[in-house]
Amino acid sequence: MLRTAVLSLLLALCGWAAANWLTHGFQVWTDEGARRLEVALHPVDAPRVAVDGPGVAAPDLPALLAQDGGATIADFIYTRCQTVCLSLGSTFQQLQAALQADAEAGHPANVRLLSISFDGAHDHPAVLLAYARGLHADPALWRFARVPDAAQQQALLRRLGVVVVPNGRGDYEHNAALLVFDARGRMVRVFDITEQQLALDYARHLARNAP
Amino acid sequence: MTPWPRCTPRTQAALGLALCALLAWPALRQALEASMWRHMVLQFPLLMGVGALLAAALPPRAHTVVSRWNAHGIAGLVLVAGVLAVLMVPRVLDLALREPAIEISKCAALLGAGAALRLSWRAAGLVVQGFFLGNVLPMTAVVGQLYIDTPLRLCNAYLLDDQARLGQWLVGLAALLALGWLARVGWWTVRREGDAIAVKNA
Repeated sequence: MLRTAVLSLLLALCGWAAANWLTHGFQVWTDEGARRLEVALHPVDAPRVAVDGPGVAAPDLPALLAQDGGATIADFIYTRCQTVCLSLGSTFQQLQAALQADAEAGHPANVRLLSISFDGAHDHPAVLLAYARGLHADPALWRFARVPDAAQQQALLRRLGVVVVPNGRGDYEHNAALLVFDARGRMVRVFDITEQQLALDYARHLARNAP
Repeated sequence: MTPWPRCTPRTQAALGLALCALLAWPALRQALEASMWRHMVLQFPLLMGVGALLAAALPPRAHTVVSRWNAHGIAGLVLVAGVLAVLMVPRVLDLALREPAIEISKCAALLGAGAALRLSWRAAGLVVQGFFLGNVLPMTAVVGQLYIDTPLRLCNAYLLDDQARLGQWLVGLAALLALGWLARVGWWTVRREGDAIAVKNA
């Protein structure tokens, strides 16, 4: 019986240790929560993938993020989207309005917005341009890009922890979020779409402290 | 708990190996893991079934050693409850799809849990069985209800309606298993009372 008790205790401890590791000390229960925590602890370098888009002159993503210094709030979209991207679009419109208000008030925050398409095969620069116009995007503040190469696009999604699932009705479901990048092209924080004010304040703070 | 009492241990182990190979076959694995409810409600119990079948191949000497460390099946059932509790963390499903090491650990844990369940169930007796089920089944039902109710996708790789369906399965399975066990206990009690009366009348 003693042996059983000792073994049971050991097994329970192993279970506790596994759960502790899995949930980062019982802080997160989902992979998305873990991703956000891990990014906050260890920023993720944006991979060197080639990008293009309307008015995008930078050859690759890190160069695009480093343009003008400052910080970038990015999201992933596809232009055929009828669901969550629409709410992301309006979130970005509100962010753009806040940044424009900053500039009008005479203290422009060096923060840019970037929408990256994960449907590179369909979202050619011309499609992105039409989409940007539909959202009344200000080209100086809010840029649109895609990764033309399918393998590089996959690598980018994997590196940044973006998971795209076809929903069987011709659309995609994805873990939509606001990704904040610093001027060195590192993803430093991931915010929920409902946390746009937090994301904006964090990006402003990053841009102010940028070298 | 023996699935087919007339099957020799060797047949059972062979069956377990065959099922194991089938489940490891990439096409079937992908088909099972493509949906959240199939991942948890089909693949998990099937892997536990493989573990239970393979446990038949243990030589009698191993049984003696195991039972020395597993009085009343307690250690085994602690293992099963622990494995099931950890595997109900939604992050496991996403990680298992992404990280081969986690996928292998998950399968190994389920095989082990299946074997432990088989080696412990009879020895446990009604009290320990009831305690075990009284912990595991409510946990399953609560997790299932959470999956039904939450408006958030808990796994990046799965859709919301898939998650709700998994929740319904978990609640339903927990209720069914509880009823099944109670029915068995009832039947067993009635039979024992019948035997006692027969002995008295004889």
